Amino acid sequence: MAAEYTIAAVAAPVAVVGLELAVLRTGLLRTVRYWVTVAISLAFMVPVDGWLTRPDATVVHYAEEQISGLRAPWHIPVEDYGFGLALITLTLLLWQRQRGRTPAEGEARDG
Amino acid sequence: MDPLRYLLILAACVAVTLPLELVLGARVYRQPRRLLLALAPVVAVFALWDLIAVARGHWWFSERYTTGVILAGLPWEEWLFFLVVPLCALLTFEVLGRGPQLLRRAREARSTHRRATDGEPAQPQLPATGSSRGR
Repeated sequence: MAAEYTIAAVAAPVAVVGLELAVLRTGLLRTVRYWVTVAISLAFMVPVDGWLTRPDATVVHYAEEQISGLRAPWHIPVEDYGFGLALITLTLLLWQRQRGRTPAEGEARDG
Repeated sequence: MDPLRYLLILAACVAVTLPLELVLGARVYRQPRRLLLALAPVVAVFALWDLIAVARGHWWFSERYTTGVILAGLPWEEWLFFLVVPLCALLTFEVLGRGPQLLRRAREARSTHRRATDGEPAQPQLPATGSSRGR
């Protein structure tokens, strides 16, 4: 049996993109702003995830047989980037979908 | 300090991104209803994934580096993770949406400063409004 986390980590972003194309249709994925957000978020994910997976003080352990074994940088399983990408993208899609749906909570004011 | 490790990592993420809301004008925390409606399905889906992954032994959490508080089958730090990471992404996204506005304001501030030092009356600041909502 193939590594299940590897499969899930690929399937999740694909499913989120499918949700956008078939249902949500926010157009978010065609904006530069989305891709810059993803780039920044994944860049910051590296130190955070690196800390969570550091071998000498591991917060989250992974079953070696459920991952591809590719870890970069340091000890981060590459699958985590698929997980993170899906998490961030779904969040931004639903946030954009709520735009204009929820009453503007003081949005017209400047803080 | 060991049991607080996961919690402190999350706290650092919140602390680092807080200026995006407080200084750079992202309006994420200040739209609690929109935030709740956007995040509820995200937390549900990813917590479910997490629960299945833990049940199937894909990953597990250190007892040494978590507080030990378990909420519906997951360390409560893990629940917080599903709030904190999306929040960081949303704050980034919102500040990027305000980019043009922030630049204009910086330019205005400079020219206002010049006029003020020349002894001319400063122009009133343009009210920066919800136009940041544009993509």
